[in-house]
Amino acid sequence: MSYGLLIADVRRNVFQERNLDLVGFCNLAGIDPYLLLPKGEYEIESSLFKKVLIADVDEDRFLNPLIMVHILEKVIERFKEPFAIVLSASASGMEIAPYVAGYFKVPIVTDVADYDKDSKVFFKSYYSDKVFAHVKLKEEKFYVLTLRSGSFKDHIKSRYEETSQEIIDGFADTDKRIFLGYLEEEKEEVDITKADFLISIGRGVGKKEEIPLYEELALRLRATLSASRPVIDKLWLPKERQVGTSGKTVKPKVYLAMGISGAFQHIQGMKDSECIIAVNKDPDAPIFQYAHYAIVGDMHRIRDRLLEILKGS
Amino acid sequence: MNILVFVKRVQAAQEEELRIVGDGERVDLSKLPYKINDWDNYALEEACRTVEKLGGQVTAITIGDKEADEVLRRSLAMGAKDGLLLEKPETLLDPVIRASLAYNFLTKEKIKFDVILTGVQAEDDQYGVFGGYLAALLSLPYVSLVCGIEEWSGSYAVVRRELEGGLMERVKVDVPCVLSIQTGINEPRYVSIMGIRKASQIQRKVYDAHQYMDGLSATIEVIKWSYPPRKEGATLLSSDIDTACREILNILREKGVYQ
Ligand SMILES: Cc1cc2nc3c(=O)[nH]c(=O)nc-3n(C[C@H](O)[C@H](O)[C@H](O)COP(=O)(O)OP(=O)(O)OC[C@H]3O[C@@H](n4cnc5c(N)ncnc54)[C@H](O)[C@@H]3O)c2cc1C
Repeated sequence: MSYGLLIADVRRNVFQERNLDLVGFCNLAGIDPYLLLPKGEYEIESSLFKKVLIADVDEDRFLNPLIMVHILEKVIERFKEPFAIVLSASASGMEIAPYVAGYFKVPIVTDVADYDKDSKVFFKSYYSDKVFAHVKLKEEKFYVLTLRSGSFKDHIKSRYEETSQEIIDGFADTDKRIFLGYLEEEKEEVDITKADFLISIGRGVGKKEEIPLYEELALRLRATLSASRPVIDKLWLPKERQVGTSGKTVKPKVYLAMGISGAFQHIQGMKDSECIIAVNKDPDAPIFQYAHYAIVGDMHRIRDRLLEILKGS
Repeated sequence: MNILVFVKRVQAAQEEELRIVGDGERVDLSKLPYKINDWDNYALEEACRTVEKLGGQVTAITIGDKEADEVLRRSLAMGAKDGLLLEKPETLLDPVIRASLAYNFLTKEKIKFDVILTGVQAEDDQYGVFGGYLAALLSLPYVSLVCGIEEWSGSYAVVRRELEGGLMERVKVDVPCVLSIQTGINEPRYVSIMGIRKASQIQRKVYDAHQYMDGLSATIEVIKWSYPPRKEGATLLSSDIDTACREILNILREKGVYQ
């Protein structure tokens, strides 16, 4: 049986949960999962894998795309070409996957949200989840994939009674790109992860001048103000208020999303909120798929009317 | 510092309805306005700031039809010195072809550079492949999701790259290299219509993309389009604003977050 070569998503010695999606994909596609890991202490359930390949390198060099291609050369030399090299559509996957594909000059499909085994079709979001493309490879040869976190883990079904372990070593190193260290975000004044009620504003807010009125609304409703990435990028609110994959993951009792389209990176940060109310003027905004309550309308008018009611007029 | 920035003209879809035509044959994009890809705008700004500080020049390159010249004019108005259009009337859906075409072009025309900047991804197809694939073809070091450039020396750069949950890593990377730029790294400057008009007078160079397509064929194809799978769906609140607001307040009370 051909195999899927899974490049483990690891960071600071943690084996990330999104690796389960890589296993789920292999089970769905009917290929043996071979896991590729750096050396170190990682908690993994080895019965999920046919083979565990330990690259003789520390985590930070393992995550370096320039070194990864040499590790992969060794793996391919030993086990022949895989059916696919599979990674998470995460910060490391987004960096390693295209470089690997370019190095081996093979096709690549990124951020895959679903797969149809019979037709060999990958489902991939375009235009921030407004439409999905059904993507097929022109030729059936080895390729690189990145998978959207949470999309495949439910397909896990196979267990292996015996998992063999092998060491991969003897690959070339490089100093052309070196990891220097991690930087944590600065200490925060407001912790949006602790709030019960978040009012979150997105690009739909339009102008900086509108922000104080949302701050006032939050104050009057005793909510905490958070935002999607574009609002933070424009420096209209501090970074600590960003909800999403590269910001904070929140789980409040109520998440009131105003003028947020519902791009996947945002959804990942708030989808587990107990109650999601979304306000958007576009009836097709993807966020409505995740909301419990939907209001199709202008966020500013909703805000103004809420303020009027709260002020008792 | 000689910086190449790849920029893409994309359709702005955030606020528009996207209709799929026929039995999933294509997406009707005919009414959508065009703009520069958000991520590329940050890349361009970073390039302009860098040469303003260190000297050198920025060259903007785009692959697209004639209309894509629009993003070159915009790039020139922002501070790029040159604008190159790799003209290709048909849309290239495959990111591998786009990167390979760029590679063929840069090598065949012997375009000189110290650094190539691209956006992390394009708003339309969200592949996020171009920069990394091109870097590998050029055998150059690559860093993606760059959210800060701390230092440029003649032979290396120190950059910050964004990870998950507010974490970043610092990376030292040899120059020449390819960096893909994340939004929020800077505040892109405002470009006025006047500025773009003035920039229109600067000569842009047009190359026929077909000249660099030898041996390249698409590795993937889009066979169909569909809407994302529909979930249960939300309860729609009133379209009357006053009623909707009262409904919101009721929900907040019910959930115990507001009295
Ligand atoms: C690696 C990576 C990491 C990322 N991390 C994050 C992250 O942590 N958090 C995050 O949020 N994003 C993140 N993003 C960006 C993400 O892909 C989207 O670009 C972003 O979430 C879009 O934000 P938005 O919904 O506010 O804006 P848009 O997508 O532009 O949507 C604006 C919405 O506002 C609506 N609107 C406009 N005017 C009004 C009005 N007057 N009233 C009501 N509605 C209105 C529009 O219909 C539209 O739906 C990341 C991207 C990448 C590539």
